Amino acid sequence: MSAPLVLTRLSMRFGGITALDRIDLAVAPGEMVGLMGPNGSGKTTLLNVVCGYYRQSGGRVYLGDRRLDGRSAAQRARLGLGRSFQVTKVFRRLTVMENLLVPALTAWSLAPAAARAKAATVLAALNLERLKDARAADLSGGQAKLLEFGRMMMLDPKIILLDEPFGGVYPELKAFMQDHLRRWNAAGVTIVLISHDMGALFGLCPRVVTLAGGRVIADGPAEAVRRDPAVLDAYLGDHYAA
Amino acid sequence: MSGIALVEQALNGLVIGSFYALTALGLSIIFGVLKIVNFAHGEFYMIGGYIYYLALAALGLPPVAGVVVAALGLVVLGGLVEWSLIRPVYTDKVDRPDEYAIMITFGLAILLQNLMLSLYGPWPLRPAPIFRGRVEIGELIISGDRLAAAAAAVVLIAVVLVILRATWAGKAVRAVSQNRKAAEVLGVNVGRTALLAFGLGAALAGAAGALIGPVFNVTPIMGIIPVVKAYVVVVLGGLGSIWGALAGGLILGQVEVFATVLIPDTSRALAYKDAYGLAVLVLVLLVRPQGLFGERRRLA
Amino acid sequence: MTLPTDVRVGLAAAALFVALPFAGLGDYWLYTLTIGFYYAILAASWSLLVGYVGRISFAQAAMSGLGAYTSVMTVLGLGWPVPLALVVGAAIAGALGLFIGWLSLRLHGPYLGLTTIAFAEILRIAVTAEHQWTRGSLGLSAAPLIDGATRPVLYFVALAVLIATVALLWAILRTRIGLFFQAIREDEEGAASLGVQVTLWKVVAFALSTAVAGLGGGLYAHVVGLISPTMMSLQEMGYVLAMAVIGGFHNIIYSALGGVLLQVLLEYLREIGEWRLAIFGLITILILRFAPNGLFGTLAALGAALRGRS
Repeated sequence: MSAPLVLTRLSMRFGGITALDRIDLAVAPGEMVGLMGPNGSGKTTLLNVVCGYYRQSGGRVYLGDRRLDGRSAAQRARLGLGRSFQVTKVFRRLTVMENLLVPALTAWSLAPAAARAKAATVLAALNLERLKDARAADLSGGQAKLLEFGRMMMLDPKIILLDEPFGGVYPELKAFMQDHLRRWNAAGVTIVLISHDMGALFGLCPRVVTLAGGRVIADGPAEAVRRDPAVLDAYLGDHYAA
Repeated sequence: MSGIALVEQALNGLVIGSFYALTALGLSIIFGVLKIVNFAHGEFYMIGGYIYYLALAALGLPPVAGVVVAALGLVVLGGLVEWSLIRPVYTDKVDRPDEYAIMITFGLAILLQNLMLSLYGPWPLRPAPIFRGRVEIGELIISGDRLAAAAAAVVLIAVVLVILRATWAGKAVRAVSQNRKAAEVLGVNVGRTALLAFGLGAALAGAAGALIGPVFNVTPIMGIIPVVKAYVVVVLGGLGSIWGALAGGLILGQVEVFATVLIPDTSRALAYKDAYGLAVLVLVLLVRPQGLFGERRRLA
Repeated sequence: MTLPTDVRVGLAAAALFVALPFAGLGDYWLYTLTIGFYYAILAASWSLLVGYVGRISFAQAAMSGLGAYTSVMTVLGLGWPVPLALVVGAAIAGALGLFIGWLSLRLHGPYLGLTTIAFAEILRIAVTAEHQWTRGSLGLSAAPLIDGATRPVLYFVALAVLIATVALLWAILRTRIGLFFQAIREDEEGAASLGVQVTLWKVVAFALSTAVAGLGGGLYAHVVGLISPTMMSLQEMGYVLAMAVIGGFHNIIYSALGGVLLQVLLEYLREIGEWRLAIFGLITILILRFAPNGLFGTLAALGAALRGRS
């Protein structure tokens, strides 16, 4: 069910600022890739371009043999591209159940009853069953993150892009989320993970990509990237600059 | 068109443009700080006209004092409105602040319009202008009340610009307009600044109503057309931009005057006079939402 | 399965409206209610857009006027029967709504508010200016909805149209489309990331809402028999907003009831003159500030809370 995500010479400029500079990146089916880099290195912009919120200034995005660029964010989601947001974007005045139904029902072939049944299994997997009728606005930060996870899984994604999923999450929940990521990955879902949490990132991802100044400065096995002087430099430089 | 007629039209446009700029300036200051469009701005303008009328008719004040009283009255009204209705917009008390602000100011407009209609009826009132008579410059003849009101508008605008530039309060207003978070970090009290901006914006609307009201008429619905022009002006100049509001006012004044003169079918041109600016508004928002003079910001 | 509260409230109101003529309510009040049904259609269509999709619009009264003028002129110019002309009016208003919705896709909040005000005013100015067709501010007389119909008959026809439109909107909102609308209201980017075609549904909502407004306007024109550009004014828009807000703009049934309620009160309180409008303005503000779910929404929640306690 999986397909490789391939970016070729992907660039994004805002006025005079180059946020992404000719990025080449290929993520194989079933991989779990960490994406790190100092603040402002272009990680979130990369996600936004891949998901279709920004139209790239140059380059292409492929999922399998399908070209994604030029398609709307919604179309990309339907093709199996899921994502989470740094600041959760749950539908605050909808219930947890309704939140989960939205992605399922965007597939017109799926009947509402079937969507509900599917949502029930996701709720059970995430231990959110008792909250199914709660308004998303009333959830705790951690519960909202889990709900975003759940919504993403309702899409049956081929690949998911996660933007700082562990930010502000307490340790038990973090472990629970990591556990789920491993399980989904084992089931064949490709994962790209942005995180400032180095422990989690290196613990989960066999391969790590580092961005700095909108370029890929390191890409390889986690251990190699961890010791890469260019990576250290990028982070230290960032520290000195701050 | 003869040279003298051309100058006359240009001057007419300038006078009207200064009215537009004065009305729009308050709207822009309020938007700058609070990021809301005050849909009751036309009614503030109208109340200014009535206060001016009452100050002259009931208190027997001289016209210039009437304008001052109108501005002060609107500071109080604007402050009250900000404190009681607008505050929830930036204190996270409402679910959807944008929507709330639009609807609550629109509701306020209904209230104020009908309140004045109940109190004073629909009849037009004609208080004395600050200056009567005609001004003749060579062959040019301009009605004095308009010219005086325009001159007063220019003076008022200048005073406001000085306040914004030179006083601490004015600097706070500009700082919050440019970057609210940074201003907050640097110790600017955003709540107080919002109160100040809303009061100042309302006062400008009131002063505009007091100055321009006597030139046309003071009625409960006198604010509707000017405020729509003010929307055009602030959008043209970039919402929240002070200089944009001034430039936008002058541009709209000229556009209206010359569009009316240049279109051959005169009666139709006049009938559509109020629509030109609106067409410009739509065009600007669709093509260049930051306005002619605003900076394009990165949408994140 | 028990019916949702809003549907029960709506059915109860509908039953009351059906019963009133049989209970001997006079022509004068039936006519007042008929006009109230027009406002109910307008308020419901507006709340569909604002309450569900989160798109503000000040063009609803203007769109109603467009529907009204189109329908009246279709009868006058082409000699088409009134029911068909009503459909034409709704279609034209819907088509313009589709266009405006598409043009203003990227605009939000105050920017969208200003754009819709501009469109509304341009439309009103154009209708006033083109008096060789519209007779400008003199107004245009409209063919009667049904030749020789009595007031009770008009009343029932208007009631039927109101119930049909609200039921239709309610049914649409109950499907997945309603869920997509609300997802867009809550978070456009989030909705798009889950496969919701945000652009499509925003445009559809605009067109649907304006088409219903256009239908309402046409109905009003042929009931009242005379239309003028004042029905497209921003003041008129203000009343629609007040009706929807007071009824409860997060629910089409409640906002429709708000429309009827306010129109009846407007007639009932005639002695106090314009004060009633000032009071409605005040109530609108108070409701927005303290009870954003509106009169009926708040009452329904209160009722549910009381039942839950006992």
